Amino acid sequence: MITPAIILLIIFVIIPIVYGFYLSFHRWDGFSSPVFIGARNYIRLIERDDVFLKAVTNTIIFAISVVVVKNVLGLFLALLVNQKIKGVIFFRTALFLPVTLSFVVIGLLWSWIYNPTFGLLNAGLELLGLDSLIRAWLSDQATALGAIITVDIWKWTGFHMVLFLAGLQSIPKDLYEVAIIDGANAWARLTRITLPLLAPVTFISVLLSLNGAFVRNFELVFVMTDGGPNHTTEVVLTHLVTQAFRFGKLGYASAMGFALFVVVAVIAFTYIRIGRSGTYNF
Amino acid sequence: MATAARHTNPDTFGDLFSKHLTDRLKLLLVYAILIIATAQTIYPLFWMVFGSLKTDADLFNNVWGPPRTMIWQNYVDAWRIADLGARIGNSIIITVLSLTVLLIVSSIAAYALARLQFPGRQAIFLIILATMMIPPEVTVIPLFIVVRTLGILNSRFGLVFVYAGTSMAFSIFLLRGFFMSIPPELEDAALVDGANRLQVFWHVVLPLARPGLATVAIFQGMFFWNEFFLAFIFIRQAELQTIPLGLVNFFYRYSADWTLYFAALSMVTIPVIVLYVAMQRWFIEGLTAGAVKS
Repeated sequence: MITPAIILLIIFVIIPIVYGFYLSFHRWDGFSSPVFIGARNYIRLIERDDVFLKAVTNTIIFAISVVVVKNVLGLFLALLVNQKIKGVIFFRTALFLPVTLSFVVIGLLWSWIYNPTFGLLNAGLELLGLDSLIRAWLSDQATALGAIITVDIWKWTGFHMVLFLAGLQSIPKDLYEVAIIDGANAWARLTRITLPLLAPVTFISVLLSLNGAFVRNFELVFVMTDGGPNHTTEVVLTHLVTQAFRFGKLGYASAMGFALFVVVAVIAFTYIRIGRSGTYNF
Repeated sequence: MATAARHTNPDTFGDLFSKHLTDRLKLLLVYAILIIATAQTIYPLFWMVFGSLKTDADLFNNVWGPPRTMIWQNYVDAWRIADLGARIGNSIIITVLSLTVLLIVSSIAAYALARLQFPGRQAIFLIILATMMIPPEVTVIPLFIVVRTLGILNSRFGLVFVYAGTSMAFSIFLLRGFFMSIPPELEDAALVDGANRLQVFWHVVLPLARPGLATVAIFQGMFFWNEFFLAFIFIRQAELQTIPLGLVNFFYRYSADWTLYFAALSMVTIPVIVLYVAMQRWFIEGLTAGAVKS
C-alpha cells in the first residue's frame, strides 16, 4: 500500500538530495561527463564569488526582517481582530486575502505600485506633499531590497495573524477575569498571560516564516528586479538559477543548493527536535 | 469588573476621561488601525481593476482614482494576446491531476502508516518527517537532471509528478494524523464482517477523513495553482505554460501595454478572490491548519 508513495518520494526527494551532494563536488555543464574537483566549488563560493556573498547577505537580511515584521504585525493584528467588535469578520477576511494570491500576481502588482511614472506609491507621496521621498523604488540601490521585503511581508502578515488568532482563542477567558480582579492592567495581562500562553503558536509561526524566508523569495525577486540593480536584490536562489541555467554551471549551482539545503535542514531538524521534546504540545 | 480594576489600579486614561469616553476612544483607535491595515491590503487590488479599465492616458494622469471611461476592450485584447485561455486550461489540468495523484497515493500510504504493522514502518515515518520540511527549491538542480533523465521535461505530466512527489511527505504526515484520530473500532467491525483492508479504507475510513482530505486539497491546491519556480524550471514551451508563467511571459514580451497587463492580472486574480470570499472559512482553516500541522 505504501509502495507508490515511497517510489515518488525516492525519485523526487531522496535521489535529488543525494545526487545534489554528489554533483556539488563536480564541475559539470549538464551534458558531458561530470569532472570530480573535490571541494573546489565550495571554496570558490566563499573565496571568489562576490555575488554569492552578496546574495547570502541579502538572503539573511530578507529572512530576519520578514520573520520579525510578519510575526510582530501578525500578533498585533490578531489582538485587534480578537475583539468582539462590529465588522471583525470583514477585517479578518480582507487581511488574509493576499495569502491566497500567487507571488507572481503580487510581484507584478507591486512592481506597478512602485512604478515611477504611474505607480500608486509615488502618486500617493505627491498627494501628501512628500515629494522629496519620490524615487524609482525598484531601480534605486538603496530601496530595492527593502521594497521587495515589504511585499513579502504584505503577502504573509494575514497568515500569521490567523495563526496567532487561533492561539489567542484557545486561551481560557477566566484567566483574564481572574487577572482583572487581581488588578492586572492591560499591559500586565498581555505580558504575563497572553504572550506566555502563545509561546507554542509563536514557535510554529516563527519557524514557518524562517523556513520559507530562505527559499520562498525567488519569485518576488525574479519578477520585480531579477536580482538588480547591481545585485542589490540578488538572493541565493536567483544566483543559483542564473549560474545553472544561464551559464550551465550545474555542479557549482549544486554546491549552492546544497548549502541552502543544510540551512533549511538545520531549521527543520530544530523544529522536529523541539516539537518532539514535548515542550510544546502540537 | 472593569470598574473594580480601575479602582484598585487607576491608569492615567481612567483619571483623565470617564470610562465611557475612554472606551469610545479606544474603539475608535482600533477601528482606525484596522481600516488603514485593510485599506492598504485591498486598495491595490481595486487599483488593479481600475487600471484594467482605463485608457493609457487615464492610467498615467489619474493614478489613484477610478477609470473615467470603461475600456472593456482591454480585457478582450489581453485575453487574446496573453493566450489566457490556454494558460488557464494548463493550470486547471496540472492542479487537478497533481491533486488527484497526491491524494490517492498519500492517503493510502498514510493509512498504512497509521494502522498497519510492517517492518520498517518507523524508519519510513522518520524519513517522511525529515524530508517534509525540505522545499524542492534547494534540490532544484539534481531534480532537473532526474526529470530530464526520465524524459518528462517540458511536459504537463512531468510537472504533475514533480508536484505530487515533492509534496508527498507533508500530505502523508497530515493525513496520518487524521487517520489516527479516527477510532479503530469502526474498522474492526467492518473487518470482522469480512471486508478487506482496502474496502475498509475506501468505504469506512475515507468518508470519515473528508476534513483532512479537504485540508490537503486546499493547501496543496493553492500551492500548485500559484506555483512559479518549479514550473519555470521544468516547462519551457509556451503552449504548456501555467498562469503564473504566462503572466511573466506576457509582461516581458509587450513592455508598454500597461492597461492590458492590468486586465490580464485582473482576469486571473478576480476568480481566485471570488472563490476565496465564497469559501473563506475553508480557505483560512485549510491554509493555516495545513501549515500548523506540518
